[in-house]
Amino acid sequence: MLYTINKSPLMFGNLQSALRIAPVGEPLLLYEDGVYAAAQGATSEPLILQALAQHPVYALQADVKARGLTALVDGVQLVDYDGFVELVEQHHVAPWL
Amino acid sequence: MSEQVTILMRKAPYGSVYTAEGFRSMMGIGVFELDISVLFVDDGVYALVKGQDPSALDMKPLGDGFPMMPDFGVTKFYVHDQSLSERGLTTDDLVMNVQLVDEAGAAHILESSGIVLPF
Repeated sequence: MLYTINKSPLMFGNLQSALRIAPVGEPLLLYEDGVYAAAQGATSEPLILQALAQHPVYALQADVKARGLTALVDGVQLVDYDGFVELVEQHHVAPWL
Repeated sequence: MSEQVTILMRKAPYGSVYTAEGFRSMMGIGVFELDISVLFVDDGVYALVKGQDPSALDMKPLGDGFPMMPDFGVTKFYVHDQSLSERGLTTDDLVMNVQLVDEAGAAHILESSGIVLPF
């Protein structure tokens, strides 16, 4: 199951909550403000490291680029819209709005 | 139809329209006799608390509606146990009988659904 997160981890607990429920190995996709979780040096970094230790983590490239995020935490995989569609085709989605 | 649908309720009831909209879709989906589960996680559990009275906010009490949902074919109500206990609540504080689930149980409900509708 693909858990999708679209809120900043510094403002909201969406990522934290999804991590609590998502079984180990299930993929996470960061999009919209959710991509801020992938930013290097943010105080939320321990959270994304925890995520990466247990899940494949994807971030939507268009949202990363739009926000000027250049330094991403190692291990976060960028996907374009086609990649996003592929993930959604391969998994049921649990939107963690 | 046998498509399984889970309504995922994660928001507190009166600060946004999410809970009310989740409730409305629950009724609508129930009428179509889809296999529907409702899962309350995080602040979503506040929607089930007894004694809600938003009359001074000119809003309808949402908690009163859930116990009527079995009439619409919606019978499976699940609550994440830690979300409840973290808020100082127990099942005695809720408007109806629910099944408590842990993280693995919640994940299982989501995984067994073809569709998850988040509110």
